[in-house]
Amino acid sequence: MLKENDNDNSAATLATTSSGAGKRSSLRNEGRKKYRFDTTDVANVALFLAVFVGLWQLVTLLELWPKTLLPPPAQVAISISELITNNSLIIGIATSLWRLAAGFAISIAVGGVVGLAMVKFQGFGKTMSSFAVGLLTFPSIAWIPFSILLIGFNDFGILFVVVMASVFSVMISTYGAIRNVPLIYIRASKNMGAHGFALFRHVMIPAATPSLIGGIRQAWSFAWHALIGAEMLITTLSGLGYILAVGREFNDMSQIIAVMITIFAIGLLFDRIIFLRLEEKVRSRWGLNQHAE
Amino acid sequence: MTLIETSPYTNKIKNGSSHQERQEQQKQETLDFIPALHVKDVYKSFDYKISKNNGSSKITNYDHISSEQQQLLSNSTRSFRTSHEVLNGVDLKIREGEFVTIVGPSGCGKSTLLNIIAELDKPDSGSLLIRGTVNDINNALSTKRIMIFQESALFPWLNVQENVEFGLRIAKVHKERRRQIADKYIEMVGLSKFSESLVYQLSGGMKQRVAIARALAIEPEVLLMDEPFAALDVQTRDLLHEELVGIHKTTGKTILFVTHNINEAILLGDRVIVLSSVLKDIKKEFQIDIPRPRDPESPELYEIKKQVLREFEGDLQIAKRK
Repeated sequence: MLKENDNDNSAATLATTSSGAGKRSSLRNEGRKKYRFDTTDVANVALFLAVFVGLWQLVTLLELWPKTLLPPPAQVAISISELITNNSLIIGIATSLWRLAAGFAISIAVGGVVGLAMVKFQGFGKTMSSFAVGLLTFPSIAWIPFSILLIGFNDFGILFVVVMASVFSVMISTYGAIRNVPLIYIRASKNMGAHGFALFRHVMIPAATPSLIGGIRQAWSFAWHALIGAEMLITTLSGLGYILAVGREFNDMSQIIAVMITIFAIGLLFDRIIFLRLEEKVRSRWGLNQHAE
Repeated sequence: MTLIETSPYTNKIKNGSSHQERQEQQKQETLDFIPALHVKDVYKSFDYKISKNNGSSKITNYDHISSEQQQLLSNSTRSFRTSHEVLNGVDLKIREGEFVTIVGPSGCGKSTLLNIIAELDKPDSGSLLIRGTVNDINNALSTKRIMIFQESALFPWLNVQENVEFGLRIAKVHKERRRQIADKYIEMVGLSKFSESLVYQLSGGMKQRVAIARALAIEPEVLLMDEPFAALDVQTRDLLHEELVGIHKTTGKTILFVTHNINEAILLGDRVIVLSSVLKDIKKEFQIDIPRPRDPESPELYEIKKQVLREFEGDLQIAKRK
């Protein structure tokens, strides 16, 4: 808030000294979006990237490995633009994201329902939670042979692995979050006449939201890991993991690195834009951010 | 003397000369008085499962466990069940619009009693009569007796306005009507400026004000307050006492107020009920007919305080001897 005011003031002083109009508007934009694009943040990231790319360039110049094995940044950039112009990257991203969305949606639905059933039926909850914890730590890639033989080399085989990787995380976080809703909220709302579905909708779910978001964020990252692995091993002729596998088959290191950068960027983008923002929103509403501010 | 010492609803009257006279008076009183709320012969005990493994013992609630049981616990090597009596035939009648304060040492079952009245807990035996008719406990929870907790129990995902509207939303009251009612009670507790504020932005006193507004918005018959001001600083508490007295006057609600603070109890109540942790029952009742607002420094109040304290001391001594 303070920062925004500062920027507005500086914009105002600039206006009075009749400086360039473009400069003024850019400052104003910064003021408005200050929590998204802090100039120092952007500068830090730019500096970090520059140093990273510089080091990379340096290593390739030393020629410790042949250029085909460790291509310089420029070559990777060319590879990225090639992948974009022949549409394979766009289609790959679209396919992967579609699979991710479908698998993740199934995970949330199934995990949520089973998690709630675990709360409702205590005996089931106890046994299921230890079972689910076991499967949570189970490496998702280990599901792949099972999935190939059971379902085959198709989208559903990949979906199966993605769901298996993330469903238990959703299940356990739902179970934990609902069970840990402070009793006082439940007592107070029951006293005010809430019961059954109303209690669930107006009290349990909102009270559990902060920890639920954490679990869903984790489930998303599990799903994303599993998806790329499954796409590499369950060949379906599309998806980012497939492009990665093709790169390996043709010994095209710059394509491999190009796809790796894409995967990294998508992961970062989702986590920052969707989950972090969602979490921030909830946390600030609950007043859980007091220490950070 | 404005103080009349009575315990008309229990059989533990000890007095001298005017015994007969008083009994007559009581008879008269019981005849033309149908209590708004009657807690009839309520017994309640809690079961504890105690287990001891490798020297570490697990108890759900240590407060209510007597020293013998603790002794037993420290000597035991396996788990066993024990039960502890909290309320032993409590009988309490409350008039319409009366402000009753219940005071007692910790562990005397005052919160349990309140929970039973709020139907958040079930008694082992005994019943709750509302205007003379037995309350059907199997009914869906009624919203006629609303509890205000020590910690405000406001919902942090809602703002002040939405918190106050909560009960009405559950009752599916229309949006505009909801807003109207909420506005009225938010104004009553003096928080109109803060209706959009979030819970964490409020001070402790403001939170309790919102909790009071939230309870009033449901338009309950009885307000149940479980040490609502115990966590507040003295100045804020004084202020809230004044406001609560004002609210009692304007709304005419029956208020049942539990506290361990004797000053608070005698400052607010029309009737002060002393619960004993030894008897697990009502030990004494004090009718206080001093008009409000009361001066806490006044000699009459001081006199009552001394008497209430005497009841307390006896309790503590017996507990110590045990």
